[in-house]
Amino acid sequence: MLTSQFLNSLAYFEVLFCLAALCAITLKKQWPEYWSLGGFLATRFLSDLILIPLYHLSVPVPGQSPAIAHRAYVAYFYIYWISYAIESVLALIVVYSVFRLAMAPLKGLQQLGMLVFRWAASISVVVALGSAFAPDMTRAKYLVAAISQLQRTQSILTLCLLVFVCFAILPMGLNYGSRIFGVSLGLGIMATTDLVQSAWLAFLPHFHSAYSLVNGVVICVVLATWTAYFALPEPKRRMIVLPTTSPFLRWNQISQILGDNPGFVAVGGMPPELLAPAELEVMQRASRKMVVPFPRSMSA
Amino acid sequence: MKIIVRSLVIALAVTGAIATSYANASSSKTTATAPVSLSKTSAMPVPGCPPSDPGSCQ
Repeated sequence: MLTSQFLNSLAYFEVLFCLAALCAITLKKQWPEYWSLGGFLATRFLSDLILIPLYHLSVPVPGQSPAIAHRAYVAYFYIYWISYAIESVLALIVVYSVFRLAMAPLKGLQQLGMLVFRWAASISVVVALGSAFAPDMTRAKYLVAAISQLQRTQSILTLCLLVFVCFAILPMGLNYGSRIFGVSLGLGIMATTDLVQSAWLAFLPHFHSAYSLVNGVVICVVLATWTAYFALPEPKRRMIVLPTTSPFLRWNQISQILGDNPGFVAVGGMPPELLAPAELEVMQRASRKMVVPFPRSMSA
Repeated sequence: MKIIVRSLVIALAVTGAIATSYANASSSKTTATAPVSLSKTSAMPVPGCPPSDPGSCQ
């Protein structure tokens, strides 16, 4: 009973923290840079607002029609899993945009990294949706399995990003007070919780309520962290100074010219009609000025 | 500060990696016994039972 009350309180706190983080993003005018995180929080806020009353309706109470409870449960089931799928996709976009922001000073490496990320994410999503399929599966089971795989994929990508941001943040001119780091840290904590939960439920499948408590506390901590990072002023990015021999600089230059349209060189005989009269005049005058006469043949 | 943050991040990544390997190793067991293998990081209860039979896994 106490656990249930505590869980209910955590659900309300979650809604409040979501709203606080959304307000912080809006007040600090961070929507253009963090629209995906804003979308993630808005989806969570709206889904929680709908799910809380639906959950209370779905619990059978003496005197209430079982049909109402059943209908409420069906609505709860689909809204929960569909909002979870939307949040997984938005979290992937958050990871992508955090990487883009972190690598902004090194445009070449940023473009190369985003290209690799897009391919990795696309292949992971296709594999997740494909591996969730099994014979004799109902639509509801497929929905749950596919979203679980998608979430696991997103969690692994998020942890990879967090490790990258943690080690590259100082060379990129940022520090641990930057919003980029705060968002990555929050996502990383959520990703680890998801993966640990996945292992936990595999061994102790009937301990849902115990893990719901952990989940509730973790999400409140993460949302409070994001609110604090967005509410507090962000330290300015330092100017990045790299030595001319830096491999970062060299790879950035190489990446910047990758994919550029190539120039063309005429290698065969070129008829004079292709040249403009002014070009012909220049070439004739230049050849007249040559001190050494041009050999007429190889034998000359 | 730098060492603390880096240790925390490495701890998160290592925990995630170990948890993934455990979850993958027991995936066949999971499908046989557990209604769901993952849920939102949220205080909201997980609807693991099929919509046609809400009481089947309680």
